[in-house]
Amino acid sequence: MRTSPLDRLWASLLAVVIAFLLAAPLTAAADEQEATTSDAGADYDPWQRMNRGIFWFNDRADVYVLEPVAKGWDAIVPQRAENSVSNFFTNLRFPVVMANNLLQGKPGDAAIDVGRFMVNSTIGIGGLFDVATLWGLQRHNEDFGQTLGVWGVPPGPYLVLPLLGPSNPRDTAGIPVDYVLSVTPLFLSSYWWTGAGIINIVNGRAQVLDEVQQAKSASLDYYVFVRNAYYQRRKALVNDQKDESGTTPTDDLYDLNAIDDQNSK
Amino acid sequence: MTSMPSTTKTRSKLAAAALLLACMTAPGSVPARADDAAVAVVERTTSGVIAILTDQKLSTDEKRKRVEDVVLQSVDFETLSKLVLARNWTRFSDPQRTEFLSLFRNHLSMTYGRNVEGYKNEKVTITGSRAETGGDSTVKTKILRGGPGDVMIDYRLRQRDGQWKIIDVIIEGVSLVSNFRSQFQDVVSGGGPEKLLELLREKNVKGEPLKSR
Repeated sequence: MRTSPLDRLWASLLAVVIAFLLAAPLTAAADEQEATTSDAGADYDPWQRMNRGIFWFNDRADVYVLEPVAKGWDAIVPQRAENSVSNFFTNLRFPVVMANNLLQGKPGDAAIDVGRFMVNSTIGIGGLFDVATLWGLQRHNEDFGQTLGVWGVPPGPYLVLPLLGPSNPRDTAGIPVDYVLSVTPLFLSSYWWTGAGIINIVNGRAQVLDEVQQAKSASLDYYVFVRNAYYQRRKALVNDQKDESGTTPTDDLYDLNAIDDQNSK
Repeated sequence: MTSMPSTTKTRSKLAAAALLLACMTAPGSVPARADDAAVAVVERTTSGVIAILTDQKLSTDEKRKRVEDVVLQSVDFETLSKLVLARNWTRFSDPQRTEFLSLFRNHLSMTYGRNVEGYKNEKVTITGSRAETGGDSTVKTKILRGGPGDVMIDYRLRQRDGQWKIIDVIIEGVSLVSNFRSQFQDVVSGGGPEKLLELLREKNVKGEPLKSR
């Protein structure tokens, strides 16, 4: 039983290696596109054919399996309990968040993470209640993909992973590292861990039922909607160090002169 | 770093009080910073919307209508649309531009107007603002949802004819302008302006109201 988490770890590592081998010859093309379009990063998708295929598969899996289960869960479980389940798993992620804050050179944030974990695990009854946030200990969202970003690793092309969804080579590389950092699976038998993981996924999906439906109806092309949103969101998360708000889309996004220049040509 | 909502709220209240005081004691001599005017627009809009949403005398349809009016007053929709189309704007003829503006506006109010039904007493607090290069202002807000965690929403504003108007909404780091630009870019480069108009027309016809949970 102790080997099974390790097996999965090796599988993830293998996937990362494959992803990098695929990514290598495309780096040159990435630079080229960067120079020609203003916001090239968000739309850089040389594997679009494959990505769209996997995206479609993921969406079917969601529509036929995950979403119905999540709807059932949502109908049975009260909102407050859903929040508590979400708090519980967020609290368990503490080692990942703290370690990545340290790796990103943010010891202050890491200290807050320790404080959060101690407060929520005790007064918050095993993490079910996020007392720490009420006390002003802010929740952080960190993972190794972001750490790599802070270290200057570019995201690379858009990549949709089977079942896991939107990603890129950099963030994919972060998955096995976070898995090791998360510590918890090493203490639990794989049965417990799998069960908990499923509850976490279903509960998480149940909390965004309306949002996903709205995103689908608001977009002309849901695939491009998700691709762009993923790129922007990850960029904002990586940048949280430089800008508190974490929201600084490139300035030329707002440059009407660039459009008028095109006018005169 | 750990800006507690309560402190920022107090701070913005203090700032507002200070501003008011400055205006009263020395009218004209202390010009308000551009930022403050932009903040005021966002403050007016969000509080206006919440006032409508909490008004129990209004039906859902009336609420949607009034929210739309309040929001459109504060948005420079033409600039927003131009930014969304970016260099594709030049490929649109004048009638196509006019049609695009109305279709896109319908599309947005239809899809986001549904949120009116899902309002669960969330509060909005303004957490800060900053001047951008080129004269724009960004006003940062947070929707306080309690349990499920807060949502950061930034508004980018630009001055036009002396009025600050919203030209982009950035939700948790995701800019609406950038997102629609990506989507529309694909369509226009593939099928030209007419294709985009056609898709928007279709989408607007199909739009069915979201079932409330």
